[in-house]
Amino acid sequence: MTELSDELLVAYVDGQLVREQTRAVDKVLEQDDVIARRVDALKEAHGRLESAFEAILAGEVVEVLAAPMLPPRIERQRGNGLGRVGLAVVGIGLALAALVGGYGWPLVTPDRTALRQPALAPRAQPVAAATPAPKVVPAPIAPTTWQEQVLRAQALLFGDSVEVGLESQGNLDLVAFQLAQAIGPAVKLPDLQPQGFKFVRAQLLRFGDKPLAQILYLGAEGAPLALYAMRGSGDGEPAFKQEGAIGSVSWTDDGIAYLLTGEEDETALFRLAEKIKHEPAAPDHLALAPAPRSEPRPELSQVPAEPGAPASYPAITGSAPTSQTTPPN
Amino acid sequence: MQANIHHESVRHDLITMLPRLKRFADVLVGEKRAGKALLRRALLRMLTDQHRYQRGTPLDRWAFAEIYRLWLSELRNHSDPLRQAKASERDFERLFPKDQEADFDALTANFLGHLPPQQRSTLLLVYGEGFDYEDAGRVLDTNPDTIQARLILATASLADRLGSASPAQAQASATIETLYPRKSQDDDQ
Repeated sequence: MTELSDELLVAYVDGQLVREQTRAVDKVLEQDDVIARRVDALKEAHGRLESAFEAILAGEVVEVLAAPMLPPRIERQRGNGLGRVGLAVVGIGLALAALVGGYGWPLVTPDRTALRQPALAPRAQPVAAATPAPKVVPAPIAPTTWQEQVLRAQALLFGDSVEVGLESQGNLDLVAFQLAQAIGPAVKLPDLQPQGFKFVRAQLLRFGDKPLAQILYLGAEGAPLALYAMRGSGDGEPAFKQEGAIGSVSWTDDGIAYLLTGEEDETALFRLAEKIKHEPAAPDHLALAPAPRSEPRPELSQVPAEPGAPASYPAITGSAPTSQTTPPN
Repeated sequence: MQANIHHESVRHDLITMLPRLKRFADVLVGEKRAGKALLRRALLRMLTDQHRYQRGTPLDRWAFAEIYRLWLSELRNHSDPLRQAKASERDFERLFPKDQEADFDALTANFLGHLPPQQRSTLLLVYGEGFDYEDAGRVLDTNPDTIQARLILATASLADRLGSASPAQAQASATIETLYPRKSQDDDQ
């Protein structure tokens, strides 16, 4: 029996040997069954590893199409760090708004042809071609085009989203007041900072003829979380639903229907929903705020507009807060 | 203007590579949730610090290296790296899509799940991405000999497992180990 090391055989299977060496190993394989069986086993291992990585990639394609990970385009010439956060939330808001309409992520739709090309061609093709061919996994079919999804999202905007908006995102009292006016006095503007979600902004959308509030938070790891609130009726216990990578919990409380959406898992979303359910409604929240109601509100004109707000999506008003009126712990 | 075009180009190329980058992050970390978080942080860093990207360098190599560097730096900065949670077997199996249960290779998934992250990533870069040893070494900040040694060790070890388990044994262990039970041969026909 010829003694050949695994080092040499793996290099042979991986196509790393020079031609003369490959021929020499080929000759040994013709004469030595033990070595030939070992090479077969190594080839099978190689093939299984390739197939396993192909399978993982197929799953990633589906996930990335459902919820891409890149933030929206960043305006590089203007704005500061807070402006960037605000801009990132523009896309997140639009996407989550689309989710409310029952659709997936509308903003970034990578070229699926490119996605189906998982890797550059290997530089060193295995000499031994007996490894199983990687499986061809059909690409998932998106339910609609991005244009259709954006149209659905656009339907959630109305005049107030563009013209009135929630002028000062930095003043939570004012935001809560405006939300209460639009949605109802029982609406909540929860402080989720202790849970790791920083309030970023809120805005009014529309569903049918009803105003719909969208309150956006940013998690410590950069994952967005959105709370939607609309007038409803009665009370309803939280119910969970998964839509691609995004989970949601919906419930009704004091005549306000809520939908909490994000990439958190079911347990985390339920925990957040419970926290929100026990949060005081907006008027109480205002009463608890450190600034007394009798103090003069900042003039709207004094609130700086977000410098990075894109002209193509004027519904986004205000910026991330520079300070929060967080209740004392 | 040039800078903006370059920025958009990097961004676009990163988008087209997202599934591959996510697979790398997931395989490196060994589970989906932490892999996704790692990739998110790495992407933000890449977009913010893309001046560090040198034109002419294949973007995928740079992006993989950035993810690996971030992972390693976070591991080093961890207050107690030895106590860091290790991804479980079940977490690793979740990297495989559920709808492929008929093709799910439990033995290989189990084998990969038990490898150290650096070794898993080496296998992915060479067998999954088709990188040569030098490029894989650049991504993982090591030399080609180490890459080769890792490949030999892992491939030979998997081959040993395959050789030691009869088809019936492999099938039985797969049924026990996997969350997604295999379909019978008859179902596939």
